[in-house]
Amino acid sequence: MTETLAIGQRLDRADGRDKVTGHATYVADVKLPGMLHAKLLRSPHAHARILSINVERARALAGVRCVLTAKDLDRLEREPSSRARAILAVDRVRYHGQPIAAVAADDVHTAEEAIDLIEVEYDVLPAVVDPLQSLEDGAPLVREQATETDDSEALAHGSVTAGEVKVAGNKPTNVTSRVHYHRGDVEAGFAAADVVVEKTYHIGHVHQGYMEPRATIATWDAQDRLTFYVSAQGQFSIRSELSNVLGIPESKIKIFAMEIGGGFGAKIQPIIEPIAAYLAKRTRRPVKLVLTRGEDLIAATPAPEFIMEVKSGAKKDGTLTAVKARVIMDPGCFPGGPLNNACLLIGCLYRFPNLDVEGIEVLTHKPSQAAYRAPGAHHGTFAIESQMDAMARALGIDRFEFRLKNCIVEGDLMAHGEPWPNNGMKQVLQAMAEHPIWKNRASAPNRGVGFAVGGWLGGIQPASASVRMNPDGSLCVITGAIDLTGTNTAFRQIAAAELGLPAEDITVQTGDTDSAPYAGTSAGSKVIYAVGGAVQAAAADARRQILEIASHELEASPADLEISDGKVRVKGTAERSVSLSHIGSASTRYGGKYEPVFGRGSVAVTQRSPGFSGQLAEVSVDPDTGKVSILQYACVQDVGKAINPTLVEGQMQGGSVQGIGMGLSEELVYSKEGRLLNQSLLDYRKMTAIDLPKIDTVIVEVPSPFGPFGAKGVGEPPIVPGAAAIANAVRDATNRDFPDLPITPDKVVRALRQ
Amino acid sequence: MSKQPLEMTVNGEPTEVLVQPYQTLLEVLREEVGMTGVKEGCGTGDCGCCTVILDGKPVTSCLVLALQAQSRPVRTVEGLGDGDALDPIQEAFIRHGALQCGFCIPGAVVMARALLDATPRPNEDEIRWAMAGNLCRCTGYTKWVEAIQDVVDQTTEGAMK
Repeated sequence: MTETLAIGQRLDRADGRDKVTGHATYVADVKLPGMLHAKLLRSPHAHARILSINVERARALAGVRCVLTAKDLDRLEREPSSRARAILAVDRVRYHGQPIAAVAADDVHTAEEAIDLIEVEYDVLPAVVDPLQSLEDGAPLVREQATETDDSEALAHGSVTAGEVKVAGNKPTNVTSRVHYHRGDVEAGFAAADVVVEKTYHIGHVHQGYMEPRATIATWDAQDRLTFYVSAQGQFSIRSELSNVLGIPESKIKIFAMEIGGGFGAKIQPIIEPIAAYLAKRTRRPVKLVLTRGEDLIAATPAPEFIMEVKSGAKKDGTLTAVKARVIMDPGCFPGGPLNNACLLIGCLYRFPNLDVEGIEVLTHKPSQAAYRAPGAHHGTFAIESQMDAMARALGIDRFEFRLKNCIVEGDLMAHGEPWPNNGMKQVLQAMAEHPIWKNRASAPNRGVGFAVGGWLGGIQPASASVRMNPDGSLCVITGAIDLTGTNTAFRQIAAAELGLPAEDITVQTGDTDSAPYAGTSAGSKVIYAVGGAVQAAAADARRQILEIASHELEASPADLEISDGKVRVKGTAERSVSLSHIGSASTRYGGKYEPVFGRGSVAVTQRSPGFSGQLAEVSVDPDTGKVSILQYACVQDVGKAINPTLVEGQMQGGSVQGIGMGLSEELVYSKEGRLLNQSLLDYRKMTAIDLPKIDTVIVEVPSPFGPFGAKGVGEPPIVPGAAAIANAVRDATNRDFPDLPITPDKVVRALRQ
Repeated sequence: MSKQPLEMTVNGEPTEVLVQPYQTLLEVLREEVGMTGVKEGCGTGDCGCCTVILDGKPVTSCLVLALQAQSRPVRTVEGLGDGDALDPIQEAFIRHGALQCGFCIPGAVVMARALLDATPRPNEDEIRWAMAGNLCRCTGYTKWVEAIQDVVDQTTEGAMK
């Protein structure tokens, strides 16, 4: 069957040639006639009152076309409810790098020069940077009034669940929301335990690390319609958000989504687009705004900081008795973050009969957060997988045996009371236990093997797609989904399988917001799972239409027809056939009697398919320098069905390395005053080619009952267990705990000296 | 400051532009010569996205002043391969799925070409050291290394025949 040929093939990426030749076009590559270049003046302080701004010298500079401050913008709020609405600071800045003024000039150098000519007087105020200090009475307040939590981004991930309690009390506080999951009696659980482990874990802010700094172009046309060229994960979602922020109907905004140079959750919120729109409005010219890497590190939207106090207990036979946790999430200066995900993961991965997990969101004077690939899940997983290792050690039970005894299976209740859907956690653990890194481990000084498993509940969102036949009989799939990782190539395979055609006969086009069928944000591992289902349905609809036309041409019932070798033929006969090119031309030509083939597919998947990834690491630790070297690394993942194994492996490897980076080297470091100290990629240390071995991949396929051809979301799970696997391996090598990430050489040396 | 004439050869083509003394080679290649395949990922020489081959040596073009390229040959990603035929490294990157978002890829394939020009048969460690200045957030580098090794293996097989 042709279907099975397309699904599971290692098809080359359709856009591969564009990307290796430099032809793929990103926002910064676009030049429009008359285009101006924008720069932002940013606050050097984390918390300050703005006493005065003088832009006269900047306005007078030759080549400067527009200078804006808050007082030039309508609709700005003193206490904006979200980051996107904080277009320019009104009277007060609340994070280092917050935009205060904007310039549009003929070229970027003039814009930079103008920025330097703007004079601002500040009254520097005390900043709160540490989330624990922010919880204390009398801490400097981040917001003057309580406002509602912004959960638009969590909704984009399809990950908001019950259990969230929004805070809107009268007492001034930096706490903006709480979650609480509770089951049974934890104190009784601890009393019944033979082993109780209690530790506090910390993961600071990390940058999503996309290689393309944020960039946008805004331009207004003669009908007062606003067009954006964006580097964004979701064109419809960014349009909705821009419509809200700017007060313009969605029908008056058009989004051209250019190639996106990585997003990983960060490129959902429009944090630079609104100011570009204002500058373009004032100048009546297109305005391009491209952030420098330094700006993107200082003042974009990193992942939130987490402090997780966790206590868990088990009996001698390895039965879990209870888990209690207090999770503090610092999302920076605006609320809204994956607190519930972190809390759920702590309570959900293993069968704790008693649990009490409390989450607190508390603001600080730092840039507000955005999602980072499986937001919150890696945080919670780091804590619970460290606990599982510690309990297994204390009990003297094999680490795999302990997990296999307690891991959840379909039907077990999650922390919020919903049952776990079909999932492959156990199969992933079983495959990990058979991996050579584990089977062949040998004891050697300063060497260790560690592993961890974690997952992502799976995103869900309605989606639509269309499949159009061209006059030559080829087919074009059109969706509104942004291709981050090769999903358009997988769509091609899904459509090919459904139509019974070779993939080469099918092209895939991402339309713009005016032309494309609706698709949600490419986030939360739901592109193939949700939009892929719509593509499959659209292809099935196109196939039905093709067979309908062929049935007239061949005078046969559609049920007796099949598509193969570019023809529709009567099953079992070689001679009675009609070519697809004939159908294509007959349904499009002047005076033609058949309707053009236009397949439509719309789906609303409401059932999740969680994805699990498990990772194993062998490390060596240099006792003199504290450097951790990764000798071997493997990623095992249940993907349901790998539509394209090469692309799936790429996701597994890339996600693993992001988790490793959180484990070993990445953290945005802020001074006590709230200034970012590591403002370059030299100081914000991501994993490089020399830091890593080849990442082995093991694909496990426990089919989803809902995804196309059994596929599950693939993108989020591989980042989830990486940091925990590294920490457990370093623990194995050093006999020391490292609950505070990243495990940098200085921390290792200090621990070894104790 | 007044603009100064810069004559250089870009991908084999003699090229004349007027540039400001403070402009980087990266900016001039992108904005004046139209080689937008050369990407700016950091502007401080840390990420390798802007790697080009200047006088036979790989450089981060964000750290080279344009006027330093005076009378010298520059090769960018657009100049890899031979006409419509891709460079074997470009072919291998596609075949191995060694690219995702693609932003770092122009710099990476140029760096890999410079490596193989200087060291035709690098081992894995040499490949990793050579590519360590090219950051990639999507792939985790495994498929990069496999793609480059594949090119090395093919070249070696060809030489043995």
